[in-house]
Amino acid sequence: MKRKIINVALIICPLSIVFLSLFIGRYPISMVSIISMLWSKLTYTPNNLPELYQTVVWEIRMPRAILGALVGGVLAMSGAAFQGLFRNPLVSSGILGVSSGAGFGAALAILLFNTQATIYLFAFGFALLAVLISYLIGKVYNTAPTIMLVLGGTIVSSAFAALISFIKYVADPADKLPAIVFWLMGSLASASLQELWIAGMPMLIGMVGIWALRWRINVLSMGDREARSLGINTTLNKGLIVIFATLATAGAVAVSGTIGWVGLIIPHIGRMIVGNDNKLLIPASFSLGASFLILIDLTGRMLTGSEIPLSILTALIGAPFFVYLLKITKGKGW
Amino acid sequence: MALLEVKDVAFRYDSLDLFYNVNFHINPGEILCLIGPNGCGKTTLLDCLLGTVKPQTGTISLRGKDIKALRPSDIAKHIAYVPQDHEKSFPYSVLDIVLMGRAPYTGMFSSPSLEDRHIAEAALDLLGLKKLKERPYTLLSGGEGQLVMLARALAQKTPIIVMDEPTAHLDFKHELLIMETIVQLVRETGLAIIMATHFPNHAFYFENNHITTSVALMNQKTLTAVGSPTEILSVENIKSVYNINAKIISCATGENDLKQIIPINTLV
Repeated sequence: MKRKIINVALIICPLSIVFLSLFIGRYPISMVSIISMLWSKLTYTPNNLPELYQTVVWEIRMPRAILGALVGGVLAMSGAAFQGLFRNPLVSSGILGVSSGAGFGAALAILLFNTQATIYLFAFGFALLAVLISYLIGKVYNTAPTIMLVLGGTIVSSAFAALISFIKYVADPADKLPAIVFWLMGSLASASLQELWIAGMPMLIGMVGIWALRWRINVLSMGDREARSLGINTTLNKGLIVIFATLATAGAVAVSGTIGWVGLIIPHIGRMIVGNDNKLLIPASFSLGASFLILIDLTGRMLTGSEIPLSILTALIGAPFFVYLLKITKGKGW
Repeated sequence: MALLEVKDVAFRYDSLDLFYNVNFHINPGEILCLIGPNGCGKTTLLDCLLGTVKPQTGTISLRGKDIKALRPSDIAKHIAYVPQDHEKSFPYSVLDIVLMGRAPYTGMFSSPSLEDRHIAEAALDLLGLKKLKERPYTLLSGGEGQLVMLARALAQKTPIIVMDEPTAHLDFKHELLIMETIVQLVRETGLAIIMATHFPNHAFYFENNHITTSVALMNQKTLTAVGSPTEILSVENIKSVYNINAKIISCATGENDLKQIIPINTLV
């Protein structure tokens, strides 16, 4: 019974926050107008509200909320998957170098071309490249055991971090440097319907893949020997999970910039609520990550005159909240 | 046709022989104790049986079928594994752990069904662990933890269970509890058990309980002797394998003659 209530709450929570975010924004639109707009959408009847209202709600607020939900959701979900796969609760979605690869790609694109499309493409491409290199480094020790993969990720992350620093060093401090720094701190400001379609694809594919393999993560977290003795082709299963999580995370960071914290801490909040079984934890992580990131984004937009970058808020709000949760649950299930 | 047959198996690490010429077989309702000094390759031999590593030469067959031709999930439907040292990662509930025994029967993109859950609960019930099923398994004692690993192997519904020193790190009582459980399972369900152990007395314990038991003595890169405990665990064999003086004693407790081997002193 209690489990059912929690499940329903986890489904309703992100949906209602997306709904809520339609009402919140800098441009003043009354609640009544928004409700009548929703009503006319549902009933296919025209309304006589200004065209601008429609644009703000359907082409700015809604895509941004959905993008926020997807990004937060897949980051948390991939983080949970990697924690299980690497048998390590301190691992996050960026462990194989996705974020630093994407960061380098974006910085390079800002330096050379500075168009939205190239930034996205470069960030996505270099994110995949970073994971591929990590994997190849891990492969040096013939069967790619987990610890080598993590080591590979660490090496690749620091190499790309150095390259990012180099680009910052040579970038024009008047316009390009701030753009790079701002990108690296994460933002959903560029969200549009078109962006949602492009970035949504890899995120959706990764999400469905991880979701389908979620029980297998339990078995893989028993370690290679035991997983194999339980009849699991560990190389294939691990490879698939890495591919799906990478696609999802690369899609997310390419469009939103590096967002720390979500892929590390949200899975732990999920564990406190639903326990460690990945069958429940993976969907719960998605739901919590989605809700968390939209709320953070709303806060960042509304708190001050200019938007506060996401990474600042995820840590500033997330950290004390996590400590509070640890306190009330006494670290149960962690 | 034997349930499991190992024929002329050899395993090499970088052209260095770990063992060769290994031959034995096992049938339902039997226990085979693999005994030998540290580092002689017992664990690797068990890995070969589980199909997790492949021997360079020789064949291992399950009911006449070479395991090379079987998929990992097919092998896992025949042989389950109880590890020596299970490295705990996340505090899964005991039931979640036992449910993982159903992995070979669960499709790649699916999760265990309600029926699998019943099978897992029955396995817990059989070992008297029902009341622990919601408990995080990281909080269990060593003995309870080992019983949970055994329950997971039972949920796998295999004719053979391979155990790697299942009583290592256990106290006196829990060691005996595991031994009693093994005897009961073999007797009642006709399981076959292959067990690596450092204690020759384990083999005597099974023999004392009238289970068809064989001992495979692993030494100098091969099985130097295979046979019944009484036959194989002689003072001479113990001396040649471990370089120690030992004595075999036997005491009558009423029903059975209980045989035990006692180490006396090491030889230089």
